[in-house]
Amino acid sequence: MLKLCLGVSRAIDSLNEHVGRLTYWLILAAVLISAGNAIVRYTLNMSSNAWLEIQWYLFSFVFLFCAGYTLLHNQHVRIDVISGQLSSRARAWIDIFGTVFFLMPMAIVIMWLSWPVFLDAYRSNEVSTNAGGLTVWPGRLMLPVGFFLLILQGLSELIKRVAFLRGMIPDPTEKDEGPTAEELLAEELRKERGEAAEVKP
Amino acid sequence: MTAFLIQNMAPLMFASLIVVMLIGYPVAFALAATGIFFGLVGVELGLLSPALFQALPQRVWAVMSNDTLLAVPFFTFMGLILERSGMAEDLLDTVGQLFGPLRGGLAFAVIFVGALLAATTGVVAASVISMGLISLPIMLRYGYDRRFASGVISASGTLAQIIPPSLVLIVMADQLGKSVGDMYAGAFVPGLTLAGLYAIYAGGIAVFKPAWAPALPLEARTFREPSGSSGTPSLIVLVIIAVMASVAFAQYHYPQADPPIDELLVLSTAVGVGVAFAASVANHFFKLGLLSRIAERVTFVLIPPLALIFLVLGTIFLGVATPTEGGAMGASGALAMALVRRRLSFSLLRQAMNTTAKLTSFVVFILVGARVFSLTFYGVDGHLWVEHLLLNLPGGQLGFLIVVNILVFLLAFFLDFFELAFIVIPLLGPAAEKLGIDLIWFGVLLGVNMQTSFMHPPFGFALFYLRSVAPFKDFVDKVTGKTISRVTTGQIYWGAVPFVLIQCLMVALIIAFPGLVTGGLAKKAAVNTDQMRIEVPAAEPEGEIPLEGGPGTAPDTNGAEQKNDRGGATK
Repeated sequence: MLKLCLGVSRAIDSLNEHVGRLTYWLILAAVLISAGNAIVRYTLNMSSNAWLEIQWYLFSFVFLFCAGYTLLHNQHVRIDVISGQLSSRARAWIDIFGTVFFLMPMAIVIMWLSWPVFLDAYRSNEVSTNAGGLTVWPGRLMLPVGFFLLILQGLSELIKRVAFLRGMIPDPTEKDEGPTAEELLAEELRKERGEAAEVKP
Repeated sequence: MTAFLIQNMAPLMFASLIVVMLIGYPVAFALAATGIFFGLVGVELGLLSPALFQALPQRVWAVMSNDTLLAVPFFTFMGLILERSGMAEDLLDTVGQLFGPLRGGLAFAVIFVGALLAATTGVVAASVISMGLISLPIMLRYGYDRRFASGVISASGTLAQIIPPSLVLIVMADQLGKSVGDMYAGAFVPGLTLAGLYAIYAGGIAVFKPAWAPALPLEARTFREPSGSSGTPSLIVLVIIAVMASVAFAQYHYPQADPPIDELLVLSTAVGVGVAFAASVANHFFKLGLLSRIAERVTFVLIPPLALIFLVLGTIFLGVATPTEGGAMGASGALAMALVRRRLSFSLLRQAMNTTAKLTSFVVFILVGARVFSLTFYGVDGHLWVEHLLLNLPGGQLGFLIVVNILVFLLAFFLDFFELAFIVIPLLGPAAEKLGIDLIWFGVLLGVNMQTSFMHPPFGFALFYLRSVAPFKDFVDKVTGKTISRVTTGQIYWGAVPFVLIQCLMVALIIAFPGLVTGGLAKKAAVNTDQMRIEVPAAEPEGEIPLEGGPGTAPDTNGAEQKNDRGGATK
């Protein structure tokens, strides 16, 4: 049974991994569009509310669709003054507790409540009140979908914690995340300055 | 029991919040769940209307359509690209050579470069790592005191938190309902004053403890003229010419008595830098030999950061771009620069986007959690309870400021600044306003205060990053062949202490002289960069349960939720 669940968990992980990797490209798009907006407005004295609104559509898309991806990579900020002192089994219990009592209820409530808002916007074909603004429903749709991805990831994390406590998989929070931006920077600098390389422990 | 609950909902919520956050589960979700749980309890007890929950999606929608927060991913992305572009290395090498021959010179170089990097887009970790790997080995080689060297590096790295454009200030402005442009203008003088105080401290060390901060020996000075001179006089002449060009431009272009001060500063600085750059280019390509090597080199390494500062802060202060767009311009500029320097690889780009996406998601989710929490908390009048507590502090304004600063200082040991900004600041803001405190001043004050949290032992991030790159064990220096002993963690901690004290002094200075902040707020230029946007300048109805903002009933709340925060409009 748990084996089957682990399969589901792997499928969810892979889904959110792909969603995250595709979504982060939108940051580049948002950067270029936003800089473009300023330049066009200044040089050609032209401005379009649609292009201004696209900026925050992209921003919302990124933070909502990457919520699950961020959870998968254990990057949502915790206060670990206490939990940092505990064993990895105790931390797994904290995560199980948190997922069941914090993450799931709040994500389900928000997803549940935001769905009818999307349907309303879709049926009435609501358009932004800004002159020349965008159609609203794609924005409204991001909310329930983003929270759905988060709920899925919560489920996957739950399965992984239980499997870890049963001794079926190694500690899922210990998996190799690859070097961080800081480590890459340090590595590059060390490479350039041969002298400092030997300093490394 | 029920009566007790009804009476004490707000304090109970607050206590639960603390417990729930300390459990160690991601803060964003714990916050939101606490809000929803107490919302249900409140509805059950008849304290709140069941319609409360209908406002939830609107709450998240308001966060989504917040233009100001868009600057968070932009500046983060810019920082991640920039830190790998090699700009910091060039600056540290060259400025180190320039100041190195002075006693304490390497420390001055670190402070100067720290402030300069902070003004392009500060990322504390990146500054500390670059300085720890480039400047620290040189400082150790020539006998700097280890505590002083590591203290100056961690402190200079944290300047990124307070010198605009910094994420702290953006989030602070957003939460206090002020314009980012004003917050930037207000933080400029305090940020530079702080860097100045660091430099004064370094100067004091150079004078009173010369052994702690020796000058670079002759053989370590690489940018020398064939004649053997240092070439500095030539640089001084170039600087004088550039300054004269700036002043002349300012006189000629703004003859009126009361010029728009930001515009004047930005444009005349740009002219001065342009003149210096033109002179160096001419000297380099026509081999005029009028400028010394160091003068030419310094100009060339200073151009990229100054150009980026112009692109970001210049355009914001000129009113050409909103702070958000300024971030995007800076990010594009950083991309272009990394491309020109052949530092931009596909993997770097992906890595930067990946990190930015995750950071954006966790930051915005903390805000979402805080908003869901506050929906219930404000519903049970929790904000009035907190306000009441704060307003009853003895000592009026001053008493309030002192208590709040101590509180934030202590909380910063456990909470990072996003948590502080989204949970604590919205509770403090209204009380501060009632006491007649200028919110820009208040925001900058807390910004300087929170900056301290990056360097107080043992949790300070700057110390942690310096530890990760400073030598763990004794090593043989390649240049001198001498064995150099390691830098201990104790030395890093003790080194930070004087700078934490300087920081506290700065907080006191800002409290004593509000003019440090408010003096930077120039007279409002009447340039609206965003006339195209139809705006309803109504603040978000944070105080009451926004029943009118329910789904479907008010499709136009999108406009109303927009903070009236387009840089140019209010600058």
